[in-house]
Amino acid sequence: MSAILTAENLYHRVSTSEGPLTLLNNISLQLARGESLAVTGASGSGKSTLLGLLAGLDKPSEGKIWLAGEEITAMDEEERAAVRARCVGFVFQTFQLLPGLTAQENVMLPSELRGERGAAKRAEAFLAKVGLEHRLGHYPRQLSGGEQQRVAIARAFASFSGDDAILFADEPTGSLDAGNGAKVIDLLFKLNAESNTTLVLVTHEQRLAERCATHLRMSAGAVESYESPTGDDNLSEVSA
Amino acid sequence: MLPLRLLLRDWRGGELALIASALVLAVTCVTAIAHFTDRLTRAMEQQSLTFLAAERVLRSSKPVDSAWLEEADKKGLEQGQIVQFSSMISANDQFQFVSVKAVDKGYPLVGQLEISKSQGGPREIAPQGPPPGEAWVESRLLPLMGLQLGDPIALGDTQLKVTAILEREPDRGTSLFDMGARLLANTADLPAAGVIQPGSRVRYRYLFAGDDQVLKDYFDWLKPQLTEHQRILDLREGQPRVASALDRAESFLFLAASLAVLLASVAVGLAARRYGLRHGAYVAVMKSLGAGRNKILGIYLGQLAALTLIATAIGLALGTFIQSQAVNLMEGFFPVQPPATSWSPLLIGLATGIACALGFALPPLFRLARTDPMQTLRHDWSNPDRREWLGLILGPSAMLLLIWWLSGSLLMTLALFVGMLLLVAGSALVNRLLVRGKLASLGGAWRIALGSLQRRAAFNTLLIAAFGTGLLAMLAMVFARTALVDEWRMQLPEKAPNHFLLNIAPHDVPTMENMLAQGEVSSTEFYPMVRGRLVAINGVSIKEKKDRPGGVRRELNLSYTDTLAPDNRILEGEWWDKTSEGVSVEVELAAQLELSLGDQLRFSIGGLEVEAPVASFRSLDWNSMRPNFYMIFAPGTIDNFPATYITSFYLPPEDKLLVNDLVRAFPSVSVIELDKIIQRIRDTINQVSFAIESVMALMLVAGVLVLIAGVRASIAERLQEAAIIRTLGGRRRLLLRSLMLEFGLLGFAAGLLAAIGAEATLAVLSYWVFELPVILHPVLWLTGPLTGAVLVGTAGTMACYSSISQPPLRVLRELA
Repeated sequence: MSAILTAENLYHRVSTSEGPLTLLNNISLQLARGESLAVTGASGSGKSTLLGLLAGLDKPSEGKIWLAGEEITAMDEEERAAVRARCVGFVFQTFQLLPGLTAQENVMLPSELRGERGAAKRAEAFLAKVGLEHRLGHYPRQLSGGEQQRVAIARAFASFSGDDAILFADEPTGSLDAGNGAKVIDLLFKLNAESNTTLVLVTHEQRLAERCATHLRMSAGAVESYESPTGDDNLSEVSA
Repeated sequence: MLPLRLLLRDWRGGELALIASALVLAVTCVTAIAHFTDRLTRAMEQQSLTFLAAERVLRSSKPVDSAWLEEADKKGLEQGQIVQFSSMISANDQFQFVSVKAVDKGYPLVGQLEISKSQGGPREIAPQGPPPGEAWVESRLLPLMGLQLGDPIALGDTQLKVTAILEREPDRGTSLFDMGARLLANTADLPAAGVIQPGSRVRYRYLFAGDDQVLKDYFDWLKPQLTEHQRILDLREGQPRVASALDRAESFLFLAASLAVLLASVAVGLAARRYGLRHGAYVAVMKSLGAGRNKILGIYLGQLAALTLIATAIGLALGTFIQSQAVNLMEGFFPVQPPATSWSPLLIGLATGIACALGFALPPLFRLARTDPMQTLRHDWSNPDRREWLGLILGPSAMLLLIWWLSGSLLMTLALFVGMLLLVAGSALVNRLLVRGKLASLGGAWRIALGSLQRRAAFNTLLIAAFGTGLLAMLAMVFARTALVDEWRMQLPEKAPNHFLLNIAPHDVPTMENMLAQGEVSSTEFYPMVRGRLVAINGVSIKEKKDRPGGVRRELNLSYTDTLAPDNRILEGEWWDKTSEGVSVEVELAAQLELSLGDQLRFSIGGLEVEAPVASFRSLDWNSMRPNFYMIFAPGTIDNFPATYITSFYLPPEDKLLVNDLVRAFPSVSVIELDKIIQRIRDTINQVSFAIESVMALMLVAGVLVLIAGVRASIAERLQEAAIIRTLGGRRRLLLRSLMLEFGLLGFAAGLLAAIGAEATLAVLSYWVFELPVILHPVLWLTGPLTGAVLVGTAGTMACYSSISQPPLRVLRELA
């Protein structure tokens, strides 16, 4: 299988009032199309920072990233945004739905930002896939937490416009109760399998991480361990 | 059209409505005033030529050299002539003093005469004045003299037939002293009438029209030949007093509008800042969904452009509507009918809308485009970009340029800014005193209110300044036109003369004195009045004197007496005994002319020149309501020149009928009823202040918008505070009282500041404009803080009411 996401020797440092702080320390990884990766670790271990860099939201201080065959670390913000618009979807811990827009309008937003026609129909179809076809005109405040996250999942899948599709999920069950969390995760994995999208999932739940093909555990900005579901040690591909 | 769709979807957020309202307000205010002044200015320009009845006029107090008119004829200029004077006419054994205007066949060169052939009949345009042997009269003359159209009247030694009612003449002046009824006759009848005698006050007007260049060449040739008694009038001088009053009113109105625009811009800035902060999360999400910086900038600039255009269009329409209503309300006040509106006020309104939007709403949107998308992962919505320099420079710069453009005066603009800075400093001080006071010890609601005031010190300073400005302007205006005018009237001496009699012939003086004595009316002395012009000081022509005061640019009323009036005081030099000669000069005019005792003054009176040394400097009391003169001669100097007399007297309202008896007995005498003039001034002030007070009211509305914008910025915080207090057992009534106290105190502070400013403004007006003693106005100190407390208290409580009316559980859940 060809790699859809490759990171090589990533370092990320920020300056603080107490001096420079290293958030990520020499991380490399490679992910094949359709594969799923769970990133776990304690709070402050650098999971979300790694997710942001892999998705092209920011640039690392050092190292290279290839996303869907393009080196995004060599791109400026505008070019990285164009890559995200084409093949990146996000699901956030706190849903990040725009409160002034209805469920349908929130799902329409990625298509509208790409300037596509038929955004409303497309959004309706994705909302039907997550079982919210009856909630199209509802505002986020009129939806439960579980429903809001389902709208966010629909929006994430509406973000893809080509064959290369990679979904980044940041603690998607972090704001939900156990019951709703399980439903949302089931839905996420189901749609992922149906669409053959690649999944990068940041979580602190071991049970959830176990549902992914590969599992990267982080500590203090570095890779602590790597496990594949088959028990193979692929550390040749993921080095610390 | 993604920006427009997002704009419509986001309208419910509230900030956009607030930005739009503030923009509408600023544009409405400026457009209305721009329309109003533009229409009146253009009306003045268009009508100035009509006021002259020609393109240029040569005015003279005696007939001009006929060679001058022949030269104009040679150059192909059109000409007309007017001879104007006051005279007595008689008909049916009735006598009446009238203002005679004799015209030749050239009159009018510009504008139209309107006449009617029966009382109340249709008006018709007359291309020329009446033919020889005929007269046209104002309609009020007919019942006064029992005349019918077709009846003869006697003007001096000639008979004229009244053939039409004069409805309108283009060049009828608006002077308060042009009071006699008009009789329009032909100049060909004047020699036979024999009414123009030496000493008669006659004004000759020679009218010219033609090609601009030919006119210019002709007047360039004529100018060096003119004497002190002759003057050229052109477009600028058609109505100079009205034009300069209009200029001043325009500057003042635009300055007041600028304040409203400034406040509205602050509201735009506050709302846009809040909008920018709230949309930080939106933009981070949109960026994570693939929107680049340019895309985000495009979306928000598109939204701002659409919002600005819509709000500006509404403001332009509202401003146009309001000014049309204002012009209708003020109909009759201005001597001309304002022409239709033009495009330039709309451009001014559009520029105002764009300047407000760009200056104050753009910087937060630029910051918005720089939002870091990683915020979506960090769950941190504080705006890390603290570079607000763009906002600090762009907003004030845009306002500075706009106000400079509107007011046309850099000095006034800078003064306004310095004034605003002082006001903000004063507001900060008042706010500090307020929260540092011992009011918190008064109990629960006071403690909550003062706590809130303390936490929002910066916003409160802004609010006090905003409302302080609006209230200050409003209080100063209302008190200036009511209290000051009343104070001026009250400080006049009791039984100060309230009637003036002018144009009294010397032989009528003894009879009139008797008549006044019989009516038990005590008049001031009868002063002789001779018209003359100061032409030289110590042999140097007055024309060479730069900055010569207005008083000596025209003819002066000169007088002579051996008795010093009771309210006149000699400050320097000596009042004359029976043998001395000279002239006593009013001290302020003497200072302006830089005169010294003994300086030789040369006067031109009826073409003859008279010289006299300065014998004394004299102060006088203009408020005494007695006849006063800049120049009083010693008896024997100008006694031989033809003179008329003037006097003044007090007449209680119940004896008003005596005025009718006087007019009947002395038809040539002009009576000025001061109480009517004061009423006319009062009416004029009331009409003009309507326009100004409307702008002040808009300033207060702008203040309310600032308040709403500021409250919205803190609403989430207020919701949380209220929810926590209610969860801990606080009752809604307590919170309501604390809100009323918080905003009531702010309004009180703003009103107090406004009262201080208004009192200072009134003191300046009293001292320099009305020349009254400076006094305190206790009502002002009560009205200001009370109005502020009620206005801001009500508006603030209403704007915040939602923060205490929602169930606390829901609030805490939503905020969590």
